[in-house]
Amino acid sequence: MRRVFDTGNAAITEAAIVAGCRVFAGYPITPATEIAENMARRLPEVGGYYVQAEDECAALHLCNGASLGGLKAMTATSGPGFILFADPFGWAVSAEIPVVIVDAQRVGPVSGITGAPGQGELYLSRYLAHGGNYETIVLAPSSVQEAFRLTVRAFALAERFRTPVTLLADQMVTDGWEALAIPETSDERAAMGLEVVPRRAHPGPDFYPASDAIDVPPVVLGRGAGGACSDWTPTERGHDTEEVEAQHKHAHRLIHKIRRHRHLIDEHEAWGLEDDPEVILVSYGTPSRVVKSAVARARAEGLRVGGLRLVSLWPFPDHLFARRARYLSVELNWDGQLVREIQRAMSPGSSAHFFGRCGELPRVAELCEASRALLRGERLARRGWELEAY
Amino acid sequence: MSDRIEILLSGHGGQGVVRLGQVLGLAGSRQGLGATMLVSHGTETRGGYVRSQVVLASGEVDSPVVERADCFCAMTASAYERFHPLVRGTLLYDPAVVAPGADRAARRVAVPASATAAGELGKPLLANVIFLGAVSRILAATLDRTAVVAALRDRIPRYPEENARAFELGWELAG
Repeated sequence: MRRVFDTGNAAITEAAIVAGCRVFAGYPITPATEIAENMARRLPEVGGYYVQAEDECAALHLCNGASLGGLKAMTATSGPGFILFADPFGWAVSAEIPVVIVDAQRVGPVSGITGAPGQGELYLSRYLAHGGNYETIVLAPSSVQEAFRLTVRAFALAERFRTPVTLLADQMVTDGWEALAIPETSDERAAMGLEVVPRRAHPGPDFYPASDAIDVPPVVLGRGAGGACSDWTPTERGHDTEEVEAQHKHAHRLIHKIRRHRHLIDEHEAWGLEDDPEVILVSYGTPSRVVKSAVARARAEGLRVGGLRLVSLWPFPDHLFARRARYLSVELNWDGQLVREIQRAMSPGSSAHFFGRCGELPRVAELCEASRALLRGERLARRGWELEAY
Repeated sequence: MSDRIEILLSGHGGQGVVRLGQVLGLAGSRQGLGATMLVSHGTETRGGYVRSQVVLASGEVDSPVVERADCFCAMTASAYERFHPLVRGTLLYDPAVVAPGADRAARRVAVPASATAAGELGKPLLANVIFLGAVSRILAATLDRTAVVAALRDRIPRYPEENARAFELGWELAG
């Protein structure tokens, strides 16, 4: 085991190498630049390829091409580049190309603020491709070590589900420094619970089966029976078609291969839910670390407060909001995104509230204060905007 | 040590604020402490504002946010202006650029890092290592001096003797 004090960007790079990534195509952008830098140095050492693309759209297309050529591939960016992934992301979804995407969220819209954290891409990560007709997998790390673990997991899920998997990080995870243990042997990887799924190649001829099966080998062009790949609706054999029935089968596969196997994806952490809290703080990414401290402090004061940290964001974990409670969504944006999903998923009689912040993390004291206000049945102050305040 | 030590370092890009935090975090994590460092900065590599928030804890660090700084290094006037409301413990400041006003620091230590680096050491760039020496003395109950010196050597392998000298000067300034 190699123990270092390093960034989330370093963790993601090393994890990708461990997971078998051998191609990185990208365009540098703060706060994900070091992933490109590290990959440019590390990939040639392991027989891989680094490509500096002309823009992010090209970068993800290059990754798609590499994956179709049989190599595991990854790209990394921040919001201004993430939006440019829209076209190749749709390709990867529809043609079922395993690929890993890292989005280190910063402050937006557009260029916003570079070196400060935001969480404005919750919905973009779900709906990046136009046209609908798909489900997707998004994971959110909250520490450097977890960024390592979830990167390896993203590669495994991408292979098993034949789909792009997005690691939705934030600037404080990617630029933040923390102790990191990097496994160097297969025993160490196993001890850390890391699963590496090797790349296989679909033998054909039914490259796009009309089923929700997972663990179907990906299409590798030039191997097996010579798979086809395009941006059109495929028949089961991979030929272009404009038949509506074929489109139904294809869409159902893209949606239900993920939804019907979501137990393999779902992951969260809970604090104090066993004590039936009245107020539950919900978060993902770096803010959840402040939430964890706030929940601990509130509980020490005897307050009926609990916490939920979402690790898998999409498919959205509706089942976590079945209990009746006052939910407080703590997010790094001012418009409220996670809170809308909570409002949709929560059980009748519950209420959803919003604590927004951007560019900075909230403070423990502020979250405790907001929790106390909710326990008293009060509306939150304007700085923690309630949904009703829209 | 107490369960949790919060250290705030701020200055402008190019001063080595991040490097300073890296050394403290590395030393802490090698001692088996929980250690995190959040870095905030502007777009520019040099000249923009930079802030490092370092948290050391006897166990895992939950919130990585500095809310009540046990130690605050103000390396520029704007850093002091922006963050002095957070300091509760020791304020370390460069008197060439910072004139402390009404803050809540329990203790104020002038660290003439820029003057000492430019004058005695002949290298303005060493100012951050002078600050490192001073901070390390303030944090001596938490971080072993030898661990910090070793981390400094590993993190900044060039000019080991000059860095060691700058560290020593900083240590003395905080006495």
